[in-house]
Amino acid sequence: MSLITIKGITKTYNPKKIPVHALRGIDLTIEEGEFTAIVGPSGSGKTTLLNIIGGLDRQTKGEILVDNVNISDLSDNKLIDFRKNKIGFVFQSYNLIPVFTAAENIGFIMLLQKKSKDEISKRVIELLKSVGIEEQKDKRPNQMSGGQQQRVAVARALASKPKFVLADEPTANLDSKSTSDLLDIMENLNRNEEITFVFSTHDQRVIDRAHRVVTIEDGKVISDVKIKN
Amino acid sequence: MILKIAWRNIWRNITRSLVVMGAIIIGIWSIIFLVGMVNGMIESYIDNAIKNEVSHIKIHHPEFIKDKESKFYISDIANVKASVDTISGVKAVSYKTITNTMISSSHAGRGISAIGVVPKDEVTVSGVSNHIIEGNYLTDTKKNQILISKRTAKKLKVKLRSKVVLTFQNLENEITMGAFRVVGLFETGNNIYDESVVFIRQKDINNLLGMNGYGHEVAILIDDLEYLDQIQKSIALQFPKLLVRNYKEVQPELALFQSQIKMVGIIYMVIFMLALIFGIINTMMMAVLERVRELGMLMSVGMNKGKVFMMIVIETLLLAIISAPVGLFLGYLSTSYFHKTGINLFFYSEEGMKQFGFDKFIYPNVPTETFWQLVVAVSLTALLGSLYPAWKAIRLRPVEAIRGSFTSEKTRIFSRITNYIQYKLFNSKS
Repeated sequence: MSLITIKGITKTYNPKKIPVHALRGIDLTIEEGEFTAIVGPSGSGKTTLLNIIGGLDRQTKGEILVDNVNISDLSDNKLIDFRKNKIGFVFQSYNLIPVFTAAENIGFIMLLQKKSKDEISKRVIELLKSVGIEEQKDKRPNQMSGGQQQRVAVARALASKPKFVLADEPTANLDSKSTSDLLDIMENLNRNEEITFVFSTHDQRVIDRAHRVVTIEDGKVISDVKIKN
Repeated sequence: MILKIAWRNIWRNITRSLVVMGAIIIGIWSIIFLVGMVNGMIESYIDNAIKNEVSHIKIHHPEFIKDKESKFYISDIANVKASVDTISGVKAVSYKTITNTMISSSHAGRGISAIGVVPKDEVTVSGVSNHIIEGNYLTDTKKNQILISKRTAKKLKVKLRSKVVLTFQNLENEITMGAFRVVGLFETGNNIYDESVVFIRQKDINNLLGMNGYGHEVAILIDDLEYLDQIQKSIALQFPKLLVRNYKEVQPELALFQSQIKMVGIIYMVIFMLALIFGIINTMMMAVLERVRELGMLMSVGMNKGKVFMMIVIETLLLAIISAPVGLFLGYLSTSYFHKTGINLFFYSEEGMKQFGFDKFIYPNVPTETFWQLVVAVSLTALLGSLYPAWKAIRLRPVEAIRGSFTSEKTRIFSRITNYIQYKLFNSKS
């Protein structure tokens, strides 16, 4: 069943003066439970595509259906709610709240969703276990390694029980060991809990673990390879 | 949750927060102290003026206040006094005869106002008897005593027990004179007043002027200033042919001084608030710019703009909420301390202060409403100061902010163009 359907997406910056075409007609379908990497060189448009899928940016033309909702039609406020409930984000620089502990960072999105305290604490413990940093729960980001912070970020992305997780170059700031550990965690979550992951990356270590690799160059999909199911 | 983030964010950069809080604390303290000093000075000035010169209410012949001619007297003044004495709220009443005179010693002479008083009544209304620095106040028994100021004595080159001559024009327009012995020297602290009056017994002056039983002025002190208008009206009703005025009407400059000094206090408060507002904007802008990536993340994962806005506003208000009580408490402590001990302003400029009629010691006094006004003013300032940074925060585009960039649209496009050119060059080479 398709989770994300992208039809003829284009994105042009500054269309009236010096137009810069970041995306030039992308058609793509991502199924539920996929572990997909969107790859390409810098400036190819992969982050722009990820931002549009995540509802952080809007396309110039085309249509994007996420979980059967045309997000192009949503108002800014509805889009914020949509992001909060349907999409999990993992950023390259972790982007944790520095004044919150690991547990608070994870529980924070559930507070935005107005979940009960009991539900939040139960889910936070569950997530801390699943990303293997239970003992770090009371530590603040500056007391954790990069790898540990990115695990918290993954747990935070999953906290809202999203339909899928978008990860923008999640391993860019990690060493090999941390990258391998993080990929193990994400792959396990994908396999065991059927969580859909979509990465933008040019890290070969991530590409090697992806189940599907979509390559973009100059704003177009130039290859779409399913490596394993 | 927003409150929690805002609270913790304050302590994220302790130095910066402490600087803003310090500014608020010092600002509030200084305003309280300034208001206290200003009030203390007003009270001292008015108190002195009331005690030594004007009292709370005065009764005159309507024509007397124009040129102070002796012929505009109040007949049967003792009865007027007795009637006023019965009015509830009246603390003390005295009556006097006032005329312009020439005072001469063997060395010099000068024009001056001679005030004829009934000593036992006068001490209940006027504070001059408390400012005797040599000799004694007038007594009811001895004839032709005179009380002059230290400054007048110096100008006339006379001492205690010296003789001076007062020359008057009596009711018949004839020149009459009397020799008086100096029984006391006074110094009220108000140089202008001290140089302009001498005190003698009413009996003596009335004998010389030929106006026994008459007088020019009834001076009244009341218990509570709140009832000033009420008592004034009641007296005026009782004596419709006489002019009854309160101290603000007798000396309009007192009311003017009072309002001007209060205005100065308000101006200081506004200046402080303006300085504070820019300080807050600057600090909170730094806090926003420092947190662009974090704000971008918050908006990306689903925090709406209203919550982001509130977070910045609450953070600023918390800074004010923490520091305002400290400033208020310090202000209260310091003004309370000096209210008891007083501040010696003569240390700063003795002659200058005396010239303006101020006491040696100023006792700062802060009205309770000043504390409330400051609480409201600081809260409003913090709120206003937070609006611009909060507005800037919600103007961030999450897609850019998560990368830590706070760039304009033009910069963003330029960066995309350069990326594109680099990519094309790289591809053509390979």
